[in-house]
Amino acid sequence: MLSIANIMTDNRLNHSDYSGPNGGESDIQRALCAVADAQDKKAFELLFNHFSPKIRAFGLQRFGQEAQALELVQETMLLVWRKASLFNADKGKASTWIYTVMRNLCFDMLRKKQTQKEDTLSDHLWSFLEEPQSADDDHLFSRNLLAQIASLPVQQKQIVEALYIKELSQQEVARLLNIPLGTVKSRLRLALGKLKATLEIKHD
Amino acid sequence: MIKHHPSDTLLAQYCAGELPLSLSIALSAHIEMCDHCQSREKQQEDLQAMQTWGEAATEALNLGDMLQDILATPIDQTKAPLKAAVSIAIAGKQFKLPRALRAFNDLHWSGIGAVRRARIVSDEKNVRASLLHISAGGQIPAHQHKGYEITLLLEGSFSDELGSYEKGDFILLQGDVNHSPKTEKGCLCYTVLDAPLHFTRGVSKVLNPLGKLIY
Repeated sequence: MLSIANIMTDNRLNHSDYSGPNGGESDIQRALCAVADAQDKKAFELLFNHFSPKIRAFGLQRFGQEAQALELVQETMLLVWRKASLFNADKGKASTWIYTVMRNLCFDMLRKKQTQKEDTLSDHLWSFLEEPQSADDDHLFSRNLLAQIASLPVQQKQIVEALYIKELSQQEVARLLNIPLGTVKSRLRLALGKLKATLEIKHD
Repeated sequence: MIKHHPSDTLLAQYCAGELPLSLSIALSAHIEMCDHCQSREKQQEDLQAMQTWGEAATEALNLGDMLQDILATPIDQTKAPLKAAVSIAIAGKQFKLPRALRAFNDLHWSGIGAVRRARIVSDEKNVRASLLHISAGGQIPAHQHKGYEITLLLEGSFSDELGSYEKGDFILLQGDVNHSPKTEKGCLCYTVLDAPLHFTRGVSKVLNPLGKLIY
């Protein structure tokens, strides 16, 4: 488990002797995870003190202007603070993640400078700031939904299963069950209303 | 099987965020389709991060106010849903667009013969980036480019004098190459050109509208 004490006693981050993946990398990852898991302000301060001067130097090289270099520091560190929970240690290094946050902002700032456009298209080019698709959530939701369908009144259950699990059309279902199309529609409406109500209660 | 990939130089510039939008879209869409280049990208990003953060920044900064401002900003806990994939209909067929093109959902198509084009980027000096759809059996007459031509094959296949290309191939041609691509089954490409086409055969005047369309 991450502890602030750990991060605080290991003060290598306070010096700029970060020497690659085997140097301060584990400290950076610990700090980033503490920000993600516990919105740990001390951990963020360590990251801020470590990266700000480096980001500013990078920004000066890229833009040649102090104001833009500081804007890059501000925007990068703000995103690190707000989006830390999107960092996934299984997918890559913390220091690379912070680099790519800065890179994306650089891309948008450069484009704004060159074309006067304020579009933030970097999010589309590089997708790492997006919510990962959670297969587990989907799976749980489907299981939950199936259980709810099973508990519907028989006539409604029949309709929902035929339409959404066997993927028949409403006309086919009407013909198969020998009932008018209007009845299919009204039973479906009732069933969906019930499912929606129960699922909403469960999600709250 | 993808055979044509972007060069190391291009990939490095892309990872550094130095390429213009037109080219960045081509790289992003290729990488989305290509496992090999996904790992190249990751390696390159690790390398650049290491180099960038490895440089000592000696100048002391006093950014206490900035730090306090950031810490006062609420953490973003809204779960932004994944944006839905954009698919488009061209010539009666559905195509799923790469992630990098998701923002371009208002496409205007124009066409001549078997060739249809929708402009993607036109605000970068001489550079034009477009989606190009060529119907089955279509061909683009022999031409040269003054600058470069990047073709990313999004769907289908085509061939020219230099070889045949499959979905995902990233093809970079420099000015001096003369070619006449044709497609048997039709294809959808993303193309980036930095100069108009120059038709090398036939009555060039007649072909001018096509040249303008493709550029």
